[in-house]
Amino acid sequence: MLQRCLLSTRCSSTRQWIRHNSSFPVSRFAELVRRPASQHQIYQSLSTDPYVNLSIEHFLLENAPDDSSILFLYINRPCVVIGRNQNPWLETGLHALYNDRRGSSPENDTAVLVRRRSGGGAVFHDEGNLNYSVISPRTAFTRNKHAEMVVRALHRIGATNTSVNDRHDIVMTPTEPAQADKEEPPFRKVSGSAFKLTRHRALHHGTCLLDSPNINDLGRFLRSPARGYIKAKGVDSVRSPVGNVSSALADSFFSMQTVIDNVVREFAGLYNVHPDAVRRARRALAVDPEVFAGDNWVSGTVGEVQGDQEPDIAKGIAELRSLEWKYTQTPQFTFSTYSHEEDPRERPSLPSSLPPSTRAFLRLKHGAIIESNISLSSDSSVASYQAERVHELLNGQKLHELSVEHWTGILRQGFDTTEADYGHVQALAKHLGGLLDGH
Amino acid sequence: MASVARAFRPIASRALAQQPVAPIYRATPAFRFPRGTRSFSQSPLAQLKKYTESHEWIELAEGGKTAKIGITDYAAKSLGDVVFVELPEEGLEISAGEPVGAVESVKSASDVLSPVAGTVIRGNAVLEDNAKTINSSPEAEGWIAEIEVSDAAEIDALLDEAAYLETIDGEH
Repeated sequence: MLQRCLLSTRCSSTRQWIRHNSSFPVSRFAELVRRPASQHQIYQSLSTDPYVNLSIEHFLLENAPDDSSILFLYINRPCVVIGRNQNPWLETGLHALYNDRRGSSPENDTAVLVRRRSGGGAVFHDEGNLNYSVISPRTAFTRNKHAEMVVRALHRIGATNTSVNDRHDIVMTPTEPAQADKEEPPFRKVSGSAFKLTRHRALHHGTCLLDSPNINDLGRFLRSPARGYIKAKGVDSVRSPVGNVSSALADSFFSMQTVIDNVVREFAGLYNVHPDAVRRARRALAVDPEVFAGDNWVSGTVGEVQGDQEPDIAKGIAELRSLEWKYTQTPQFTFSTYSHEEDPRERPSLPSSLPPSTRAFLRLKHGAIIESNISLSSDSSVASYQAERVHELLNGQKLHELSVEHWTGILRQGFDTTEADYGHVQALAKHLGGLLDGH
Repeated sequence: MASVARAFRPIASRALAQQPVAPIYRATPAFRFPRGTRSFSQSPLAQLKKYTESHEWIELAEGGKTAKIGITDYAAKSLGDVVFVELPEEGLEISAGEPVGAVESVKSASDVLSPVAGTVIRGNAVLEDNAKTINSSPEAEGWIAEIEVSDAAEIDALLDEAAYLETIDGEH
C-alpha cells in the first residue's frame, strides 16, 4: 500500500518529467491498453501469482484494440495448470498440490492448481519456466507463428536443437547422435501451447521450460492415483518426455533475462515494433510496476497492482481462484472401482482391508455426484439396499468438498443398519478419500 | 468431386490460415452446404436463418418463439477437429453477444456467442458424446443450443446468408 502511494505521488507531482521520458502512472495502465493507437504492447509481470498473470492476460485479450499485437511474459510460482475442459481428479496429483478445498492460502512453495481459460492439456510451471503470451488479430494468426518466434529466440541463445512439432509444441532433439544413449527419447518437449480465440482476437500462450529445478519430478504433480478408475469427457493430456532448454547449453552462460530479451527482440522483428518500445521493455528490471508509452506503443512491467486497480482484472482473479471454476467446471465423468459398460478397463485391485465384494461407482456432472452405487455386501439385495441408502446422502454432493472425514461420516451414516462391518466402512472411506482427495 | 472434398478437410496447422477455403466458397456455390438435409428445409423462408460476423447462425423455428444456434460451416472448418463442446444449462438467460457455449479444437477454446437475447431451452445432447458432429454437420445436426427468443425482431437485424459470406470474403 505504502509503495503504491509513493508511486502515484511521484508520478502526479512530476508531470513535466513524465512527458519527456514516456513514463506514465501505473493507474493509467488500463487506459493505455485500450487506447486505439496502442498497436504494439510489451509487458513483463513482476507477479508470480498464476491467477493474477492469467487475469492480466485475459484483460489484454478482451480490451486491447482489435488490430494490436501484444507480448506478455510472466513466470509463475509452482503450479499445475489444466486446460479449460479438463478434469483435475484425472490430470493432476491432488495429493501433491496445495489443498485449496480446505485451507485458506498456500504456504511456502506448495504447487497450486489452476484452470486456465484456454484449451489444451495439463502443464507444470515453476520459477524455471517462462510463459510467453502473444495476442494478435485473428485473421493473420496461425497456430505455429509464435512458437516459431520463440524458437528463433532460443536459437539465438544457442539452443539450435529446438523446433516446432506438429502439435504446435517446441521440442528439443539430442544434439549429437553419438551422445544419445538408448534411454534418451527421440525428443524432449520444452514448450507447450494453448489458444483462446475470440471474435477478432487470437491468444497464443505457451510454457517454456528453461531451467526448471523440478524437471525430473513433474510426474508427481501430473499423475493421478485415480487415473485407472476415471473415464472422463473433455480433453485428455498428451504425455511427453520433457527437458530444460538449459540442458542443451552445457558450456554457455544461461540467464532467464537473456531469453526474455531475445523473445522481445523476435516479437519486435515479427511485428515491426518501435525501437523505443523494445528499449523500454528490455530495460524492465524494475521492482515496482512501470508503464511507458509512445505514439503507437506501450511497454512496461505489471503485477498485483493491476488487480487492485482494475475491477475487470480483480473479477478475473476471483473467478480463477474460485473452487467453482477449478472443480465444478469439470466435464462429466465416472469413477468406478469395477469394470462397467462405459469403462471396461481392468481395475487395480482393492486394498486388502476391503472385502472383494466392495463396489464403488460415481457419476459426476459439474463436479457433483448425480449417480452412485456404493456397497460392501456380497448379497445382492443387501448390496442394493446399501447403495440406495448411501446414494440418498451422496446425491448432489460436490466431490471437491469430500475429504476422508466427510466420506467417513457419509458412509457410516449410509451403512448404518445395513449389516456392514464398521472396519470395512472406515477402510472404504479412506480408499475413496485417498483416491479422490489425497489429503 | 473427391479432390474438392479433400481440399476441404481441415488441416490443423493451417486451420486458421484460411486461404484455401475462400476460392472454393466462391467457385462452387453448390458446395457451400454439402449436407443433403438442412433442418430448416421444411420452411420456405430462407431469411429465418441469419448469421453473425463472429460465425454463428441462428434459425427461428416456425411460430417464431424459439430458435437454434450453432457455428457456421466456415467456422467449423477453420477451427479444425472439435474435441469438446461446452453446452449451456437449461434456463440460462443470455443477452446478445454473450457466450451460449464454447468449442474446443486443437488446444483452442472459442466462445460461441448468442446472436440474440433469450433463455436456453436445452443444449444439444448429441454433442456431449460426439463433439465431432460439429465438424460433420455444423449447420444441422451439430446445433449447439435451442433458446426461447426474447424479441424475434432482434433476428431481423442480423446478417443474411449473402451478407455473411461477404464478411468471410473480407477476412482474406
